[in-house]
Order: sequence, then structure tokens, then C-alpha cells
Amino acid sequence: MAELLLDPNIRCWVFLPIVVITFLVGIVRHYVSLLITTQKKAEITQIQDSQVMLRARALREHGKYLPKQSFLMRRHFFNNEETGYFKTQTRAAPAQNPMTDPSMLVDMLKGNVTNVLPMIIIGGWINWMFSGFVTTKVPFPLTLRFKPMLQRGVELVSLDAAWVSSASWYFLNVFGLRSIYALVLGENNAADQSKITQDQMSGAAMAMPLDPKAAFKAEWEALEICEHSWTLSNIEAELLESADFKFETAEEQNHM
Amino acid sequence: MFPRTFLTMGILSLFHAAYSAVQHRSYLRITAQEFTTLPLDILLQAIISMFLTMYGILQIAGDFKEIRATVDLESKSWETLRNIPSFYTVNHRGRALSPEFDPASLKSQTQSLSTVSSDAVYS
Amino acid sequence: MSTGRVKTRVQKGEIIAYSESAVRNNAAIVKYCRTSMAALSGSTAGLLGLTGFYGFGFYVFSVLGLWVMLLMKAGTQWQKFFINRRSLLTHDFFGSLFTYVLFWTFLYGMVHVY
Repeated sequence: MAELLLDPNIRCWVFLPIVVITFLVGIVRHYVSLLITTQKKAEITQIQDSQVMLRARALREHGKYLPKQSFLMRRHFFNNEETGYFKTQTRAAPAQNPMTDPSMLVDMLKGNVTNVLPMIIIGGWINWMFSGFVTTKVPFPLTLRFKPMLQRGVELVSLDAAWVSSASWYFLNVFGLRSIYALVLGENNAADQSKITQDQMSGAAMAMPLDPKAAFKAEWEALEICEHSWTLSNIEAELLESADFKFETAEEQNHM
Repeated sequence: MFPRTFLTMGILSLFHAAYSAVQHRSYLRITAQEFTTLPLDILLQAIISMFLTMYGILQIAGDFKEIRATVDLESKSWETLRNIPSFYTVNHRGRALSPEFDPASLKSQTQSLSTVSSDAVYS
Repeated sequence: MSTGRVKTRVQKGEIIAYSESAVRNNAAIVKYCRTSMAALSGSTAGLLGLTGFYGFGFYVFSVLGLWVMLLMKAGTQWQKFFINRRSLLTHDFFGSLFTYVLFWTFLYGMVHVY
């Protein structure tokens, strides 16, 4: 294993600047994304719809704890032909396709621009500017498969795969500094890409399905076929049975 | 103890260990010796300062909160127990105070209610 | 509603309710400590000139050390603060591994290569 001696100028002018650049670009990206994200305005009808769906679902699941009249009264509010909520509220069907819906498209574009584009641009710039020399040595042994990937500008056959170029040092920095941003910027920072992809996955499940009419119809049907059997109908007897009281008549008490 | 004492001391000691390691390395290079391992005192200083810094970080990181919900509930006073956010009603007479209140709509609502009161709510 | 929201676990036949905001708060503190531990131990490993398996072994050693220190901070009644101890040890193992490797490479380059 060759023990190369590297010029200290590389340390001052390449090694450290790449770290500084990566860190500062991440911070700038966080503030830029704070500036350009539009405030998500919550539509009041949409909130109302999602809350009504939650109420109807709660009624279906826990209706067996209500007396029959209460259950029917609540179901009547939702399902009645003339005045029920699911029958009288109509909504215009919104755009389904994310490509044609303008606000969602703009959000997606902004997300992509702020996260992926700076990484590609700066990676390319570093690869162009700091090429042709070896930057650092990674402390763990790597197989020869990694050589063409990690030693972009250096074409030496006998060089150990542990000596890497500046572009791979840049990418190592990008991945490693992600959790540091959480320390420095606090939670919910926009420089952390991994959290954004997680939010996208959970946000799709949370948002109201974009077709309230179909959702209302499904909920109406579910409520119609829901059977009500009151689980608390004989509750006094069951409680007293399980509590294992001994019932004494007045005569028995007098004998004591 | 004092916040940040351990942290600063640990980081300074780590810097000092790093600097002495650099000097040791360049000494080995100048005298053309093989590098096997650092001298024992630098090793010990690095490890001890790492644990010291870690201890300082644990001190400034903040306190843990009790996670069992019942303990949190037991410390509530009796007056606040009646406040349950899920049970708030908003459909009361207070809507008359809103600037968009329309008494005519109220009249039509009561009329429609009286027509459907004969529905088979009882069964 | 956030303070009132509870999760429940069934433990040994008894249902225990946990306050979600407290669990989240403790998880954030643990993540903070874990990231800084990864940075510190990476720096120390680079400084000491560890390579290959010794370096990864040092990472495992520092994860264990952090686990012991967190339990010491929680005190004798760790059950008041954490649901189970095993997840405290292995959660986010590979996430902070990246940070460890970065700082390891960084200090190794600064001290031993230059």
C-alpha cells in the first residue's frame, strides 16, 4: 500500500474549502426554501369534509356503545334523503392528475429545484475545477470495483482504491452533513432531504381523497348497512355479576 | 455542574491531542520511521477528552420528560379536569353574535326540522 | 390536542398510555446526542489513525458507550423515560454511520495524510 505524501496546499485549498462549501450551501438552501415556499392555505370546505368523514367513521366503529335512538339520530343527520350531510353537499370534482393541477406542480418543481439542482451543479463544478489530483485517503479498504467511480480524474492503474478524488469527497460531505443540519438548524429544516421524502410519503396518506363525492357515497353506503346492537343493554347485570356481590335479604341481615 | 465547562474543555483537549498527533506524524516522517500506532499518552488523551465532551453534550442536551401519560394526568388540578377539547360544542346561541348571522335562515331551519320530526327515529 | 394524545402499549397484560409529546421530546434529545456522538467519535477515530475494521469497531464501541451514558442520564428508573432499551441502542444506527465516516475521513486526512 503506497504511503503517498500530499502537498499541504491541497489541504488548504481543496480539502477544507469543499467542506466549507458543502456546509454553507446547505444552510443557504434552507433559507432559500424558507423564502420561496408558499404558505399552504387550508380550504375550509376540505377541512370540514375530512372532519365529517372522521365523525362518520367514529359513528360506525363505536356506535354500539350508544343507545339505539342516539345512533339512529346521528345516522339520520348524515344519511337522510333530503337533509342528510352526505346527500345535500355537492362538491366540484377537482383535478386528479398531479401534472395538470398547477399548484401541486409548482410545489413539486420548487422541491426539486431547491434540493437536487444545487447538488448536481456544485458537484459538476467541483469535478471540473478540482480534477486531476488525489484529494484524500479514506480510512477503510475498498475493492477495485470502486476505483473508476471514486478516482474520476486520476488514471493510475496501480493506485490503491482508497485514494479518492475531490468529487467523491464532495458527495461524502453531502451525505454526512445531513444529520449535522438537524443539530445546527433545529428540526424541520429544509436542508435535510431525507425528511422531505418521508413527508411526501406520509402526506399522501393523510390528505383527503381528492374526490369527495365518491368518498361521501362510500360512507353513505357504509352507514346504511351498519347494524346497531347495543353492547351495554344488559350492563348492570353483567357488572354486578363480575363484581361478585353477595346479596343478603333483610331477614338474613337481621339474623346477623 | 456549570454548563459547557466540560464541553469546551473536552473540545480543547481534543484539539490539543490532534495537534500533537500531527506533530508526532511529521516527526516520524522526518526520521523516516514506520507508523504503527500513536504514543500512549496521545491515545489516552483523545479517548478521555471524547468521553468528557460527550458528557458535556449530555448535560446541555436537555432533560428527559416522563412519558407515562397517567403521571402527567395525575398532576392536573381538579378544575382543569373538566376541560376536554374534543367535547367542545360550537353549535349554540353564540352564533347570534357573529356579523354574518341571519335570523331568516334560523326560521327556515326550525321549519324544516318540524317537518322531519315525524320520521321514524324511534324503531 | 397534542398534549392529550396518547399511544397505548400492552405490557405484561396491562395497558399503559404514553404521552406522545414526551416521547417525541425524548427522541429528539437522543437524536441530538447520537449525531454529536457520531461526529466526536469519528473525529477521535481519524485522529488516532484507525483504519478498516478497527474504525468500524470503534463506532460500535462508541454507540455502546453512548447507550450506557444515556441510561446513566435517565437514572435508575429508565422506564419513566423510554419504552424499551433495545431501540435506544439500535435506532438510527446507519444514519449516524454516515456522519461518523465523514468525520473519520476528515480527521484522518487532516492528521495522517497531510
